[in-house]
Amino acid sequence: MRLDPIQVEIFFHKFSAITEEMAITLQRTARTTYVKEAGDFGTSIATPEGRLFAYPTALGVSGFLDSNVGPALAEVGALEPGDVVITNHPYKSEGLSSHMPDLHLIQPVFHDGRIVAHCWDFIHSSDIGGGVPSSISPRFADLFEEGFQIPPMKLVKAGEMNEDFLILYRSNCRMPEENLGDVRAMIAALRVGERRIQELIELHGVETFLQAQADLAEYAATKALAVQKKIPNGCYEFWDFLDDDFNSDVPIRVRCKLTATDGEVHLDFTGSDPQVEAAYNIPTGGKRHPWLTLKLMHFVFSHDKTIPLNHGLFDHITVEAPRGTVVNPEPPAAVGIRSATAIRLNEAIVGAMIKAEPRLMPAPSGGIMIPSVLVEQDEVTGARHVMVLQSLVGGTGARFGADGVDGRDSSLANQRNTPIEKTEEEAEAMITDYALRTDSGGAGQWRGGTGVAFSVRIAKHGSAVLGRGMERFVFRPWGTAGGRPGEKARVVVNPGTNRETELGKLDIFYPEPGDIVTIMTPGGGGYGDPLERPSDLVREDTLYGYVSAEAARRDYGVVLIDGVVDEAATTTLRRQMRAQRGALKTFDFGPEREAWEAVFDDSTMCALNELLMRLGPNARARRRREIFNRVIPRLAEGAVIPLQERVGDIDAARQRIADEIEKLRQDLPADKLAGS
Amino acid sequence: MARYRIGIDVGGTFTDFVLVDMVETRLRYHKEPSVPEDPSAAVERGMHILSQSFDVALGDVELVVHGTTIGLNAIIQRRGARLALVVSKGNRDNLEIARLRLPSSYDFTVPREKPLVPRHRVFEVNARMRSDGTVVAEPTAEEMAALADGLRHADVEAVAVTLLNSYRDGSLEQAVAATLRASLPGVLVSESSTIWPEIREYERCLVAALNAYIQPLITGYIDRLESRLHGQGVSAPIYITANNGGTLSLDTARERPIDTVLSGPASGVVASTRVGAVAKQPQLITFDMGGTSADISLCQAGVPEFTASTQVGDFPLMMPVVNVSAIGAGGGSILWVDAQGLLKVGPVSVGADPGPVCYGRGGKVPAITDCYLVLGIIDATRFLDGRMALDISAALAALNGIAGELGYAGPDRAMEVAEAALRVASAMMATEITKLLAQAGVDPRLYALLAYGGAGPTHANLLIQEAGIQSVLIPTAPGTFCALGAVLADVRRDYVRTSRHLIGSTQALDNATDGWPAVAATLAELEKAARDWVSREGSLVGTHDFVVSFNLRYPAQAYELDVIVPTDQREQLSGAALAELFHAEHQRRYGFSELESPVQTTTIRLGVIGRVAPVTLPEAMAGIPEPAGRREVWHGGRRIAVDIFARAGIGAGATVHGPAIIEQPDTTTFLLPGWQARADTLGTLQITRGAAE
Repeated sequence: MRLDPIQVEIFFHKFSAITEEMAITLQRTARTTYVKEAGDFGTSIATPEGRLFAYPTALGVSGFLDSNVGPALAEVGALEPGDVVITNHPYKSEGLSSHMPDLHLIQPVFHDGRIVAHCWDFIHSSDIGGGVPSSISPRFADLFEEGFQIPPMKLVKAGEMNEDFLILYRSNCRMPEENLGDVRAMIAALRVGERRIQELIELHGVETFLQAQADLAEYAATKALAVQKKIPNGCYEFWDFLDDDFNSDVPIRVRCKLTATDGEVHLDFTGSDPQVEAAYNIPTGGKRHPWLTLKLMHFVFSHDKTIPLNHGLFDHITVEAPRGTVVNPEPPAAVGIRSATAIRLNEAIVGAMIKAEPRLMPAPSGGIMIPSVLVEQDEVTGARHVMVLQSLVGGTGARFGADGVDGRDSSLANQRNTPIEKTEEEAEAMITDYALRTDSGGAGQWRGGTGVAFSVRIAKHGSAVLGRGMERFVFRPWGTAGGRPGEKARVVVNPGTNRETELGKLDIFYPEPGDIVTIMTPGGGGYGDPLERPSDLVREDTLYGYVSAEAARRDYGVVLIDGVVDEAATTTLRRQMRAQRGALKTFDFGPEREAWEAVFDDSTMCALNELLMRLGPNARARRRREIFNRVIPRLAEGAVIPLQERVGDIDAARQRIADEIEKLRQDLPADKLAGS
Repeated sequence: MARYRIGIDVGGTFTDFVLVDMVETRLRYHKEPSVPEDPSAAVERGMHILSQSFDVALGDVELVVHGTTIGLNAIIQRRGARLALVVSKGNRDNLEIARLRLPSSYDFTVPREKPLVPRHRVFEVNARMRSDGTVVAEPTAEEMAALADGLRHADVEAVAVTLLNSYRDGSLEQAVAATLRASLPGVLVSESSTIWPEIREYERCLVAALNAYIQPLITGYIDRLESRLHGQGVSAPIYITANNGGTLSLDTARERPIDTVLSGPASGVVASTRVGAVAKQPQLITFDMGGTSADISLCQAGVPEFTASTQVGDFPLMMPVVNVSAIGAGGGSILWVDAQGLLKVGPVSVGADPGPVCYGRGGKVPAITDCYLVLGIIDATRFLDGRMALDISAALAALNGIAGELGYAGPDRAMEVAEAALRVASAMMATEITKLLAQAGVDPRLYALLAYGGAGPTHANLLIQEAGIQSVLIPTAPGTFCALGAVLADVRRDYVRTSRHLIGSTQALDNATDGWPAVAATLAELEKAARDWVSREGSLVGTHDFVVSFNLRYPAQAYELDVIVPTDQREQLSGAALAELFHAEHQRRYGFSELESPVQTTTIRLGVIGRVAPVTLPEAMAGIPEPAGRREVWHGGRRIAVDIFARAGIGAGATVHGPAIIEQPDTTTFLLPGWQARADTLGTLQITRGAAE
């Protein structure tokens, strides 16, 4: 650091305040609920090269600190004072915009003719055209279905609004005026950032201002390295699964090899599945990217709460994300629900860290975000009324020393829920239940947080219930260090009646009036041996109803009589249970994944993926789907049937996959086989 | 003869008194050490000392206004009642799930808040209303008896009742609450629709739950206070200060203790508006810096800014309160050095106990107050009027202890650390002020900082220099300013109702039914309720005023604007006129309006202010300031000689030039080189940049 440490500390506060003032300005003057209520926006200031050197701690979306505005600017070419660049293009911005509803604006800040910083902000706009209102659907296979593509270009040129762009935009978006209201707010926020930066330069001089950017990054890098040294040196491999790619029932596997060397961390995602013909691809440009480094940021911040939020935090992280995979797709692969894949990918990173040292991280959370939506139709006019039912998440995972949080999850987007009264103000339907889901949290010395059960009673003919982002219906949030996995998600119609139907994952469902639709979210994974959980805490869990008396006995070996622990019986039962079970597992994935991996183990999957990657991007997905459906003929029966049942005879399936791999090898032309 | 009013503010360390002599227009001040176990004991003792010192017969007191933090402390420290919650079936986890957010998105070690009511004391009842007010489920007598039985077995002191959609119509909820009151004698029951009938079940439930949680404590305290004061011969009415800057009778405070939890800071803001008005400075940033924390708020055009989204302990409070926000530094904020050698200030505070190192109560970690002391800004022997001697050598040793880690060496290193810490603290506080102003969308250059609290005047000049604010106002008695605010306040209570209707011009409404008659009827009901209430609040209350605002939006628009009805339009308000106000506000904020569209009302808000015959603030005497002494202060990296003035010697109209130290019993003002302080007619100091020499 070249400035004196007092000055560095003062700049830290001033820089963050600028980003926060930008956020306040944006949120105060924005129009849509995405920005005003859900807070789905971001504001920051970037170095002349394009890396973010300050970030708000509590305003807007927390995850985008590792963004880089440089590639988008490079696409535009020469910049002049008063320019504002706009883009939503996942590929041409190298993943700055990671799906197309996100509109990003960048304004260069000039001093004496040179660029000394950039102001940046983004919003999740409520629609960008494409095949469905709000522009996001898992079934979309390419960008053209996902809406209006805006390559990096000047929205404002030397202070003059580009009216031609606005004309084009207005005719390619379902609600342009609302969104343009937000864009005006974004520009206002950029102007605030620019003015504050100029004031700082006036006060401290431009060289000090630039030096402070560098010093704070160096400071963050030093702090992050100190935390990352907690990861023991070594190489740790872990992988996790998305249930399916929506257009088929084939699971998506993401794989991470984490190498730690004296605090330097390298993340290698080689072996992750090829890009899919669905909206689950994460556009990263193959470089370090916010969706790839999110969990490491949480790890660093949780262990040093004074670290300034800037790009230096990531200086000691490198990544390898092979082109053509779900973590670095080739255009025009669809990317709308990249967040679902990113959640799983970050859980794979957590798994790798836990392999290094279990106490470093919590077990995974429910790992889903479902914005469930209700559509009601006017019986006379046919007008459709669309409203959010609830933002549904599971509980958080347990960690060494602490239970998970029940019914909440801040690990990806820390959004608020919708009050029942707000939903019912809009809807004819009634919310009959919104409650913690007993026994869904993974058992452990520290218990995983429970999921929730949310029920709505349908009132009108022609209603529809939608819920994208449905995950963890097939594979459970795993438990660790002897802890058990959390319960899977479910959707049930008319539970507890003779008309009860298990729906599995729903995309869109048309219930009848009077039907009750119940969505149950997964619980977080448990940590540590459940038989080591103090019996009094188990008793308390049953008193509060987080755990049933039966589960207390079955999972924790605690015998309760009228709510009181029978210590003698508990000791005996726990002794028996210890004797009967085998060694504790570092990871408990549940029977579904165990059956799946008995067939598709890591080396098989790596070998298969390596061959598939030799096919063209479009051929890959089709071949992959065919192979899995041939190896597991019952796969297509869907999430309603537990996966271990669908897998069936493991030895037979193993033979089939071996045959398929051999056949694939033979089908490849010789030049594509070179090196294998 | 009734001639005195007394304002009392209970703080963690001291209980402050301001005595107003209405006949001779004089103010008297007293600070009494607080008694945390029973704050009314300090009140009783302080009243006794007041009457002795100033020869006041307590029978001649016409009004006592009391601010208390008992409710707030009980919530923060979780020492409230053993509480149960009754909710509609299906809503059992209202408090467990809350609004889904966790305190941090970055830090997975931050736990969620502990719910106010443990899950096994939440009772579901078969009582459910739709959003239009129709009842779809009503409990039978047997179900109610079973519920009462369950509550009896849970052995609770208080019960909160919150049924879904009771904001629309409170009758079902109130019937359930009434049955419980009848079957559970001795148990205090609070229902949400009576206290604050606003949409959003989590926040409304908290209003009821927090009210119930502190009600046994507060009613007990009020009874004790009342009997102590009566025992001393006080026959005057006693009022309690409220979150909205107003006051409430004891009966209202017993019913609605939730209205009092954030009253302390609100009182200071009330006093600020009075002092600011005399100084012709209606645009204020109030800055209350004390031993443990610092609070700021905004007053525009002489009116404090309100908020409906504040925090009480771990919980959001949806009721309107004076918008006071804590900023991350106070006299007790600690200094520490991180592993990379950067100096950090706060967020941990040493509080009043053990306090900064210089208090000599066992504190080992240097804090901001230690910095003032070693720099020479405050005097070791005259702190708090000499009631507490400060240990300067201990403070020096503590600062020397961290100087090395920061790279300071040499004999002056303690001063260098201290000055650096004040720079960091100023920068942190200045950024918070910038954000507050951004939230309101206003220009800092139009605002003056009004500084009070024990450390406010000490730090104010340093702060405005950093924040780009033009001037500071320092009232005559900054250390007892909240007690002054209490005695200056009017009676006030706020009301809310939901009323969803379409209004607008005839053309805009087209075929839609004009909802204005229904809205006007609800408004009239609110006015009647408010008028009835204020007429029962005591004989001191004279005329009353209403403040009315509406939450309005265009139909199918997701966001609302709060539109305040100007006083001169309130009497003849029509639906079309209200819609006009909304169009104009929408135009101002978003640059467009839809004049041809109807406007939807969602929420009506009404505040009633019962005017209490005003207190005249006394004018200061004239007087030419003479330095009482001189001392060295470390400033700008060197020692400078600074004149010391007694505050009492700076008469109305007099000016002091910086650098200067201005001392008074309750605080010290530090005036920087190049700045000047001029006393106005009340004796309020106005600090501005001095004329170029």
